Amino acid sequence: MSSLEKRILLKDWGKNNCHTIEVYEEEGGYTALKKVLIDEKDKWTSENIIEEVKISGLRGRGGAGFPTGLKWSFIPKDTDKPKYLICNADEGEPGTFKDRVLLEDLPHGFIEGMIIAGIALGSKQGYIYLRGEFYKPWQRVEEAIKDAYNKGYLGDNILGTKHSFHLTTYRGAGAYICGEETALIESLEGKRGHPRLKPPFPAVEGLYKCPTVVNNVETYAAIPHIIINGGKWYANLGQGSEKSGGTKLFSISGHINKPGVYELPMGLPLIDIIEKVTGGIKGDKKLKAVIPGGSSTPILTAQEAKKAIMDYEGMAEAGTFLGSGAVIVLDETTDMVELAYRVAYFYDHESCGQCTPCREGTRWVKNILKRFKDRIGSADDLDTLCDFSEYMSNGATICPFGDAVKMAVIPIVKKFREEFEARIDKTEKVHEKISIGDR
Amino acid sequence: MNKTEEKEYSFSKKSEDRFKELEKKFPQRSSLVLWTLHLVQEDIGYISKPAIEYVAKRVGVSKSWVEGVCTFYSMYNKKPVGKYHLQVCHNVSCWLNGSDKLEETIKEKLNIEHGETTKDGLFTFTHVECLASCGTSPVVQVNNDYHEKMDPQKLEELIEKLKAEV
Ligand SMILES: Cc1cc2nc3c(=O)[nH]c(=O)nc-3n(C[C@H](O)[C@H](O)[C@H](O)COP(=O)(O)O)c2cc1C
Ligand code: FES
Repeated sequence: MSSLEKRILLKDWGKNNCHTIEVYEEEGGYTALKKVLIDEKDKWTSENIIEEVKISGLRGRGGAGFPTGLKWSFIPKDTDKPKYLICNADEGEPGTFKDRVLLEDLPHGFIEGMIIAGIALGSKQGYIYLRGEFYKPWQRVEEAIKDAYNKGYLGDNILGTKHSFHLTTYRGAGAYICGEETALIESLEGKRGHPRLKPPFPAVEGLYKCPTVVNNVETYAAIPHIIINGGKWYANLGQGSEKSGGTKLFSISGHINKPGVYELPMGLPLIDIIEKVTGGIKGDKKLKAVIPGGSSTPILTAQEAKKAIMDYEGMAEAGTFLGSGAVIVLDETTDMVELAYRVAYFYDHESCGQCTPCREGTRWVKNILKRFKDRIGSADDLDTLCDFSEYMSNGATICPFGDAVKMAVIPIVKKFREEFEARIDKTEKVHEKISIGDR
Repeated sequence: MNKTEEKEYSFSKKSEDRFKELEKKFPQRSSLVLWTLHLVQEDIGYISKPAIEYVAKRVGVSKSWVEGVCTFYSMYNKKPVGKYHLQVCHNVSCWLNGSDKLEETIKEKLNIEHGETTKDGLFTFTHVECLASCGTSPVVQVNNDYHEKMDPQKLEELIEKLKAEV
């Protein structure tokens, strides 16, 4: 293990049977819940739990980085409606594979976090939405839920108190957009995954038109540690900007020696992560570029990556985003035209089809890039591409999917333009080009 | 298969039991649509027209609602697939680590293209998007199981093994 790693959420990872309730309890699991409900029950009012989460600086780990405590405080207190808690385990952002570790190997951590969140928000029912492909993780989560019921951590009158909280799993069926929280809610209601217009925000009108909090698996998994050690302790784990507290699970893949999931304090230099944590680039090649936060985040050139700091603020300064913490490392051999095409192909496949600019635009983007892939691009194509990606972003669509396409594709084209220009066909030959509108 | 030949569908015993359990867990019945389609697919491998009608009736939503859901989500097979559904991830990290060679292996060895099924009905091949297994890429999902850190040789061995199991 690299000395830069700091295992809090992953502290039990790799121990024999770490997915079981027995090992989780042996290692101190469910003590945060006991503190909140029994040992220190006077201290942990719902306001105080939310306040502690605010102090911790915890920000949503699903991609958008919204402050968790603040989100929780939006849930209305004086309502007769039931309140719902949702765990977003859709993990669809290309490059991301960290939630899978928590679901499959450490399920009790985020379950305990959800129960505590349920108590803080006055919710009696939570749903865990897993992407459909996660069959084994789903089985593990089901087993964990059953064990937690048997031990009295879930159900009516948890640990003999007046509190109740129930958990139910739900399986998606192959749609990236269902990671977006309002599409997820639609899907959970048994519909096509079409994002909703906001407002109303889910905190006011979410699942079944009731107040709903959606958080990522990793976000919930941090909660027990914040309760046990305090929000301040958690905030101080970060080494960079004060606004980015805690540790973060990074999914690191691509052309590196040791790909995998690493828990690191916020605020490390990206280059240290690549060289010291993941053992550097494979086969003595040079670094060409890094996609820092999942495929929807703007790519960094090697030069930019060498200066970048891995926290919310550091990434913003570099002109990109921390996203889901999915770092994809590309060596000097990477064909950037092919990369842009693969990325565009994905968005074309996954657009939900609800808004015209996104439904049609994703296809146009893909088709133009296909021309460069086939070495029959034209000089105009590049300008057209950059131009019309503007029309599918900046509020032209209901959800930020259209913006994600722009952020994912255009920086590759702009920063590595010469590779695209090299694929322009300069002969007079007339090609039977696919038109940008073709399927 | 001709549509008119499609068999009537009703839950297997296992799916019936599971459905009854699920009915208790959601305050609104429409939430059962996705779950129920999963049960159908476990029973018969794809979502047939009669199954759509059956699901609509059991859940209590319209047929077009179920059809709409079925066509939206890529995991629901709209036509029968092979006994083994080979799904090769071709997103960025898998591509960087050689997923193209896996696709070629399948095409050569089984003589099928993306979306096709072998004549013996054993294998269907599709390429799919990121499976959240990029750290152990390239990955091939076969039915419910992930096969990680694949290479052409391992894939050939896997195909042989699956053939032998039949
Ligand atoms: C297109 C799109 C896809 C998303 N996919 C995911 C996902 O797979 N997992 C996730 O946790 N959040 C995803 N999100 C973010 C969610 O909308 C939401 O912000 C998040 O679940 C909130 O939880 P958090 O605050 O704990 O991060 C996605 C957002 C968009 C716009
Ligand atoms: S790119 Fe293939 S699993 Fe993520």
